[in-house]
Amino acid sequence: MLTIENLKAAAGDKEILKGLDLQVNAGEVHAIMGPNGSGKSSLAHILAGREGLDVTGGSVSFNGNDLLELEPEERAAVGVFLAFQYPVELPGVNNTHFLKEALNAQRRNRGEEELDSVAFMKLVREKMELVSMKPELLKRQVNAGFSGGEKKRNEILQLTLFEPRLAILDETDSGLDIDALRTVSKGVNAVRSEERAIILVTHYQRLLDYIEPDFVHVLADGRIIRSGDKTLALELEKKGYNWITDSEAA
Amino acid sequence: MNQSEGTLIRRLVCDRHPEETIRDENPWLSVLKKEAASWISDMPLPNRKMEAWRYTPIEFINKTAFSLDAEEAPFEALDLIDIEELLIPGSESSDRIVFVNGRYAPGLSGLKTGNGITLHTLAGDSKLPSGFKRQIGHADLSGRFFFTLNNALMSDGAVIHVNQQGGERRRLELLHITVGMPDPVIHNPRHLVVLERNTSLELVERYTSLGKSTYFNNAVIDIHLSEESDLLHTRLQEESELAQHLGHLTVKLEAHSNYRQVSLASGAAWSRTEAQIIFNGEHAHAELDGLILAGSKQLNDVHLEVLHEVPNCTSREHFKGLLSSNGKIVFDGRILVARDAQKTEAALNNENLMLSRSAEVDTKPQLEIFADDVKCSHGATVGELDPGMLFYLRSRGIPKAQAERMLCTAFANEVVSCISETPIRDHAKRMVLQHLASEGETG
Repeated sequence: MLTIENLKAAAGDKEILKGLDLQVNAGEVHAIMGPNGSGKSSLAHILAGREGLDVTGGSVSFNGNDLLELEPEERAAVGVFLAFQYPVELPGVNNTHFLKEALNAQRRNRGEEELDSVAFMKLVREKMELVSMKPELLKRQVNAGFSGGEKKRNEILQLTLFEPRLAILDETDSGLDIDALRTVSKGVNAVRSEERAIILVTHYQRLLDYIEPDFVHVLADGRIIRSGDKTLALELEKKGYNWITDSEAA
Repeated sequence: MNQSEGTLIRRLVCDRHPEETIRDENPWLSVLKKEAASWISDMPLPNRKMEAWRYTPIEFINKTAFSLDAEEAPFEALDLIDIEELLIPGSESSDRIVFVNGRYAPGLSGLKTGNGITLHTLAGDSKLPSGFKRQIGHADLSGRFFFTLNNALMSDGAVIHVNQQGGERRRLELLHITVGMPDPVIHNPRHLVVLERNTSLELVERYTSLGKSTYFNNAVIDIHLSEESDLLHTRLQEESELAQHLGHLTVKLEAHSNYRQVSLASGAAWSRTEAQIIFNGEHAHAELDGLILAGSKQLNDVHLEVLHEVPNCTSREHFKGLLSSNGKIVFDGRILVARDAQKTEAALNNENLMLSRSAEVDTKPQLEIFADDVKCSHGATVGELDPGMLFYLRSRGIPKAQAERMLCTAFANEVVSCISETPIRDHAKRMVLQHLASEGETG
């Protein structure tokens, strides 16, 4: 599904990714862990198409598309979804309007029929229940005045609405209490399927208790320096990143 | 100053005055107009050296030979069916006073009887109570050129008198329609709105046109709010894109009165609002929210003065400018708190969103405080669309152009959503969308 080869990226003069390789197949859940500043979030944003990060080498292929050539909205339409670590507040933009426009824009782009208001509302209510979101958040402005937990739920609501092929969750667990973490995980597990893949960017093993990964990768200094199964995360939790970064240096 | 400046407009004034007496005109009006005309002949034309005109070019006044087309008014041939397309859907049956090319059009107007509103017109009403004559005549003609020009040329206007207390808030639309003429014309409507003690009114003041043509609407509206009266005032400037528009507004607030204004200016090639809010009695409150749109080849200027002359009054002024293409916005807002006006609370704010690097905004919020126990603030911002917001929308599949439109609409909605009546608010939303769509086409 997703093949990243020798990806190099920079923000201005600063090198962020220094030759990253990653293969993600349909049905798989990959966790990417690593110390602060290792490039985890940058990788997530590059895949979603954020401006301001220069890809200086390598390639990203997604279901036959050269992902790096696509506009952010086109990436969404082919099924790439990024759950933001810091969901953006959009004062003055109604949440229902936003969700409906986004879903229908993706459908239009794929040549599918748009949902009318009735069909959309039915769908969104169903999904909101799944992520235990208060219905009144639909009437509010997108993320504006939402608590940290509400913002994250709103991201996962979008995940369950859009049903992307590849979901990238950028530190979705950060700042969540145990209850919120459980509901968010429930939402993620609900979209988990044989056709879909998930990349979890996280600092903590805790999330992986709820969403069990097939693979765990350690990203440090712009490269994946170790890959393993879920036991790697447990080991990291016990020994810290130095255990690997030091042995790499040695 | 170049001697030829203002020749055309001065000739227009002096050709009619001082000797000519207009047929059927009220003598008191003639006296007033003559006095104003004599001021105009000596007054310097506004120019860039004057602070109030520093950023607002007025070349059109030297280039255009405006004429008064009052003699053969086109509205007599107009029927309600002709203006139907101009009416706001959902408010077709509301009380309406219509002016066509600066003249009262009784056939297009309609006031329900017993609604507590008395209407007089300047041209037609020789029995105008002397109190109103005084209010119209009692004006300082020495300073503001276009206000004085209106006084010199005014031919008609509405005197709206609300004198019935209690009951539901009355609604009234003051609709100005310009019917395109082959040659440039100038209209000088002159209105007076008086709310008696403890009365209320919802006034929609609108300017629009049938067909594209060049004209100059030089309108003056004076508002007097008696004690405990309450006015909701919506101003919609949707003039032809070739037009010039100057709206001169004075609002006087007596004790415990309340003034709420929401304004939206989207039309005209050249548009200027000169507004003065004057606190005359204690515990009065004024709130103004305005949206200023300036797209391709448009200049949109708001000059606002809020004069806190007495203690214990509050005011809030919030104007948002949205610029695209080579549009230009001038905002000059000034709050003045007199020495005796203790316990004044006032806040003035101007926010601008620029969609184009070729646009220009000149903003000048000012506070002048002579009292020592007040809470006042003022500020201005100029910014572009937030790249983080744009990326968030696009990452959800929303195409760039649509994402930009959504953010602009959201910016505008903060003002538009202040309009309480649904049909008017929906109409204002359409004005914004139309403006954004036409700007999208021109790039």
